[in-house]
This record gives sequence, C-alpha cells and structure tokens, in this order.
Amino acid sequence: MANEQTQHLTLSELDRDGAIREAVEQVSGDTRARFLGKAVLGSAALLGAVATPASADAAAASDVAILNYALTLEYLQSAFYTETERLGAIRGELKRVPRQLGAVERAHVRAIKAALGTAAARSPAFDFRGVTEDQTKFLKTAVAFEDLAAAAYKAQAARIRSPELLAAAISIHSVEARHAAWMRFLAGVTPAATAFDEGKPISEVKAIVASTHFVTAQPKMTSAKKPKYTG
Amino acid sequence: MAGGALAAGGVVVAGFPRLAVSAPSAAQDQKILNFALLLEYIEAGFYAEAFAKRKLSGKLLEYVSVVRGHERAHVAFLKSALGKNARKKPVLDFGDTTSDPQKFTAAAIALEETMIAAYNGQAANLTKPTLVLAAKIVSVEARHAGWIRALAGENPAPSATDRPKKPAEVQAAINHTGFVH
Repeated sequence: MANEQTQHLTLSELDRDGAIREAVEQVSGDTRARFLGKAVLGSAALLGAVATPASADAAAASDVAILNYALTLEYLQSAFYTETERLGAIRGELKRVPRQLGAVERAHVRAIKAALGTAAARSPAFDFRGVTEDQTKFLKTAVAFEDLAAAAYKAQAARIRSPELLAAAISIHSVEARHAAWMRFLAGVTPAATAFDEGKPISEVKAIVASTHFVTAQPKMTSAKKPKYTG
Repeated sequence: MAGGALAAGGVVVAGFPRLAVSAPSAAQDQKILNFALLLEYIEAGFYAEAFAKRKLSGKLLEYVSVVRGHERAHVAFLKSALGKNARKKPVLDFGDTTSDPQKFTAAAIALEETMIAAYNGQAANLTKPTLVLAAKIVSVEARHAGWIRALAGENPAPSATDRPKKPAEVQAAINHTGFVH
C-alpha cells in the first residue's frame, strides 16, 4: 500500500498541531527540530536523522522494531473504527465514536508509517466478525482495544532509545488512555480503575490480539501471488 | 479557566525547577519528581477539598470520590520515592472551584490537562527506571482528563497527540489558576 502522498510528506505537514516538533525541540533544540520539520518523510530519512548519533545503528534497529509493533496495533484499531464508520450501524451516543477515534487512529498510522518510511510493516488483513455492526460488541471491543493500546505503549516507552521517538510515542500513549477512559465511561464501567496503570509486554499483547481472531492474514512481504506447486 | 478572582493576582509560584535539557541522571530525576510532586499536591488538595465540602453530586461526586484516591496515592508514591528530598506541600487556596459544580469541572479539566502535558514534557529527560514509574501515572491522569471531559460534554481526546509542555508553560498554567500561594 505505497502511498504517493506519504512519500512526500514532511514532518511539519504531518504534525499539524506541532506536538511532535515541540517534543523534538524540547529534547534536541530548535535547529534540529527545524531540520526535521523539513525532512521529507517516507524514505527512512527521518528515523536516521533522529537516531542518537552515538549508537545510531543499534538505536535505529530496536526502535524500528518497536515502532512496527506499535504500527500493527494502530492498523488494527484504525481498521476497526474505519469499518464501523463505513457500515454505519452504530447509533445513538456511540455514533460519533468510530468517526472521532477512527480519525485519530488513522493519524497515528500515518505518523508512524511516515517515521518508518520503507521500513514500515504492511497492514495485516482483518475480519471483525460482525463486531463492527453490533452496538454492545463494538463498545466492549473498543474498551479492550484502548486499554490494550495504552498498556502496550507504556511497556515500550523505556525501551525506545531515540529521545525524539520516545517523545512522539509518549504523546500517543496518553491519547490512547483518554480513549480508554471515554469508552469505559460510555460502557458504564469506571474510566480509571487504579491509581497506577500497568504496561503489558509484547508477548501478552500479541496473545490478546491473537485471541480475538480479528487478524486473518499477515501481510505478504514479497509477491502478491503465492507460487503454486503443481508437481 | 478556573480560579476566577484568585487568578487575577497572577501570583508566581516559587520553586519550579528550571530544567536544562540534559542527559538523564539521578539528580535530574529528583528535580523532575519534585516538580511532579508539587503538581500532585495541588490535584490531591483540590479533590480532597471538593470531596470534603460535599457540594458535588451525581456523576461529579462519583468522579471526585475515585480520583481523589488516585491523586493521594500519587503524592504518597512520589514522597516515598524522594524520601527526605521530598518538597513540602504548598499553601493552597481553591476558592469556590471546589464547591461550584461548573467551576469544579473547568478547574479539574485544566489541572488534568496540565498534568498530562507536564509528565509528557519530561519523559525524555528521565532515566529509564524512573520513566517506567512516571508512565504508570501519566496515563491515569489522561484517563481522568478523558473522564471529566466526557462529564462536561467535551471531546475527551481532541487531538491525535498530547502536546508536551515545558516547565515554564506548566508554571504559567498553574499560576493562572491562582491555587498556589
């Protein structure tokens, strides 16, 4: 799904409310932030540019893996809300949820894809099994996804080496927590159950995602068609 | 914005650290955690007073009943982490924001938003072990923000990323409330 537009986005265009730029500015100073603002995204240039010079290769490699993991979760959420909005079956006070959250999760997908450039993982295929058309199931799933996303980002925060990417990830982390509180509020369960939120490691998050059976196919990395062995 | 007449004085809150952006260290963690402790004292004091005054009802009372416990736990946690270096609680004056439901809601939103921006703004300045702890608190503040905004009929998550704030901006936001004397 190479997107022509994405290839030519700059950080300034992508980061319209300036959050990522300010985060970068705060940790790296104005000059570097200005440079990054003009950096064309989509060719891994940004990631290279923001990696800590002292250990650029190691930082880039582990940060790429973490960002791709985050990207997969954002693909899942984004597809979920986008499909729900398209189907239009959710009514009442929930009606605005898929539109609003869909827009935010799609923005997260765009931001992370742009930061990763050619290293970005592709989206898996999803089948939401009717959950996107059922009021109750939709809301329960939204609560689960948002709690999961907040816990997933939290567990990775301290593993991110680049201060710039950390600042960006942490600014997404708190938005996922807001979403979780909102969905819980709508579902009639307490929006903030404890004084401290725990993170969830990758293995646990992947097991939960697998248990939903929403992911039907991993992306094909090379060819659109599988080779057929006809003997 | 909350604070009303109290904010008009524009009292400058003393004691906010001027954090130079530098490599994380134990000493820097201590400054940042003391900065966080000051903010948590304000929140904890705000909700404790609102609960004690018994002027809120319904869903706002439910909110304040839950959230005051969280903020108290955050204060206790930061005090224990800082030990003898923990700053003292400031003198606080919340005026009628802890009794008037509309003013309470506006002040709670302002405080929670400030907390998120303050913690997010320091994430990259913390050592990794301290960042792990701060991350457990900031998402709870974000949940509070989402919750109180939903109660106020506002969009709980108005933008795709939460903008971090520098200590000076956080100080300005706190000064604007007029809560700290």
